[in-house]
Amino acid sequence: MKFNGNLFYFLTVFYFVDSAGYAVWWYNTNGGYEPIGTAAIAMLGFMSLFLAFYIKNTDKRQGVVPEDRLDGNIEDGESEIGYFAPWSWWPFFLGLFGAICFASLAVGWWLFFIGFPLALVALIGFVFERSRGLNAH
Amino acid sequence: MATATASKSTYGSAKKTKGQILVDWVTTTDHKKIGYLYLITSFLYFLIGGVMALVIRAQLTAPGLEIVQTKEQYNQLFTMHGTIMLLMFATPLFAAFANILMPVQIGAPDVAFPRLNAIAYWFYFFGSFVAVAGFFTPQGAASFGWFAYAPLSNTTFSPGLGGDLWVFGLALGGFGTIMGGVNFITTILTMRAPGMTMFRLPIFTWNTLVTSILVIMCFPPLAAALFALGADRRFDAHIFDPANGGPMLWQHLFWFFGHPEVYILALPFFGIISEIFPVFSRKPIFGYKTLVYATIAIAALSMTVWAHHMYVTGSVLLPFFAFTTMLIAIPTGVKVFNWIGTLWKGSVTFETPMLYSLGFLTTFIFGGLTGVILASPALDFHLSDSYFVVAHFHYVIFGTVVFAMFAGIFFWYPKMTGKMLNERLGKIQFWLLFIGFHTTFLIQHWLGVIGMPRRYATYLPEDGFTWMNQVSTVGSALLALSMIPFLWNVYITARKGEKTTLNDPWGYGRSLEWATGTPFPRHNFTSIPRVRSESPAFDLNHPEFAAAEAKAAVKKKG
Repeated sequence: MKFNGNLFYFLTVFYFVDSAGYAVWWYNTNGGYEPIGTAAIAMLGFMSLFLAFYIKNTDKRQGVVPEDRLDGNIEDGESEIGYFAPWSWWPFFLGLFGAICFASLAVGWWLFFIGFPLALVALIGFVFERSRGLNAH
Repeated sequence: MATATASKSTYGSAKKTKGQILVDWVTTTDHKKIGYLYLITSFLYFLIGGVMALVIRAQLTAPGLEIVQTKEQYNQLFTMHGTIMLLMFATPLFAAFANILMPVQIGAPDVAFPRLNAIAYWFYFFGSFVAVAGFFTPQGAASFGWFAYAPLSNTTFSPGLGGDLWVFGLALGGFGTIMGGVNFITTILTMRAPGMTMFRLPIFTWNTLVTSILVIMCFPPLAAALFALGADRRFDAHIFDPANGGPMLWQHLFWFFGHPEVYILALPFFGIISEIFPVFSRKPIFGYKTLVYATIAIAALSMTVWAHHMYVTGSVLLPFFAFTTMLIAIPTGVKVFNWIGTLWKGSVTFETPMLYSLGFLTTFIFGGLTGVILASPALDFHLSDSYFVVAHFHYVIFGTVVFAMFAGIFFWYPKMTGKMLNERLGKIQFWLLFIGFHTTFLIQHWLGVIGMPRRYATYLPEDGFTWMNQVSTVGSALLALSMIPFLWNVYITARKGEKTTLNDPWGYGRSLEWATGTPFPRHNFTSIPRVRSESPAFDLNHPEFAAAEAKAAVKKKG
């Protein structure tokens, strides 16, 4: 995990430097300021910063996990990894009704009024499918 | 009594009806099954896009042909050929291989978010259908080229439902890709088996991680651009109106997505190749860490080179983009060096996956070299929008995606289905494909140099393009023929292929997928071997040649 955090910090520095370099280079060549490229690269820097910060903090809270230990053994892992849904209808329906909504933007609003409620049902179904309520796990 | 019940409920033992099988596939959250769905769907789109390419080639066989009735139809064909091949074949193919292999390679039972994974697939499936549904409308599909340059893509120049469906279908598919990327990143960061440190990940998994980071960096700008274009087309938003400098904004946004997209297509397939070379050279990968760092460098740089597609607009910073683009050649060169280093002095054998990997290597190096040529603005001004670019692009993309796809399919087919594909048919297919591909596209470099522009529906006899186009068309027919042995191979293997139950049918497999059952059990492993190097399966099966760390661990534990 440590390396992943550092990777994103590296990307943060790289994109900020790159963005600044691009802006300066543009200024020296053409004068003025080129907003699209400068902003786009700088945004990558911000995104990398968020990820780096989050990963580093998680890492600090967690301590060294078995998968980061060079001598980690399989049995060191937690006995239960998590709950995996064995099957689900909702992804299919959410995809189908979502596609109707998206297509309706191209076809016409009447289709949107058919697709949107269905997509809403599918979305709620998807979110609450395996829910057992708050703190009930 | 109890035993009878138990044997009845054993997974997969009862014969299923057709309806049950269908429901099984539609409702699946198993990463491998979703991976197979991706693989099958994207391969079908590959065939559809390929047929379109054949019609395009047929149209260009001789000057003045009218194989497609109108020039508009020709425009639709090349637009949808590009769209299908990039966004409905190659990008989901990354998701296919990543889904099938990555969780097994890190020793996880599934991906982090199995249902999100299924949604990603269904968004891709239905989104792609919406995007190509334009063909079923009276005016036909989108026809503004897959770059959808403004103002050509607005309703004044490209009216019709086909274009609208294209925009919103791709937006939906794009969301699916983003979800897939998030899922892969989370899985690799949090679900590795104990002992599987970041620098013991197989190269393919590394490349999946880096590619997924690229996905979350560059697909959101595409979604934004597509929604803005949709707003322009449907709600008169004037975002890409030439009066507001819209054309440059679109080109920036599109290529800010478009260039990293090419690396999204390339990197996972580099990963497949990096898995195959060591197995058939009987040597560990040469320079593991340099390969990883090269991958990261390529990805980081690839976000900063987009405007080399826009040299001819005359309003981009030429030296900056020429510099960064040529810089990318260095980590790419490092990779090629590593692959050759892996082969060097290995005991190389030429099974089908290896043949395809070598086919990839030769083809991709050609594409890379012409890429450096195009990175130079002085040369690009002459070659831009000519067949030279078409040739370059197909060398890069076909070289990586298609060659590596077949390499990967042949390599992992026993793990996916429990049966080996026929080697002889595979080799016939390889040579047909290899010769067909190079006949089709090598000649197009010269076509471009003498000035044939791309995307023109026809040309004149006095242009002097005729014989070169004919060579290219003959090559494309050969290329198309090479699909027949493959489909026959899949069919005959399913019917008569011998079952293999070996964990590692190739004998020298390295990463964890070769240490589990063939075909994969439902949650991938019944037991996982100890991970002490980047090749745990090899350490397990060939303890006398195991990595030093693995040997030390055995000694300590006894």
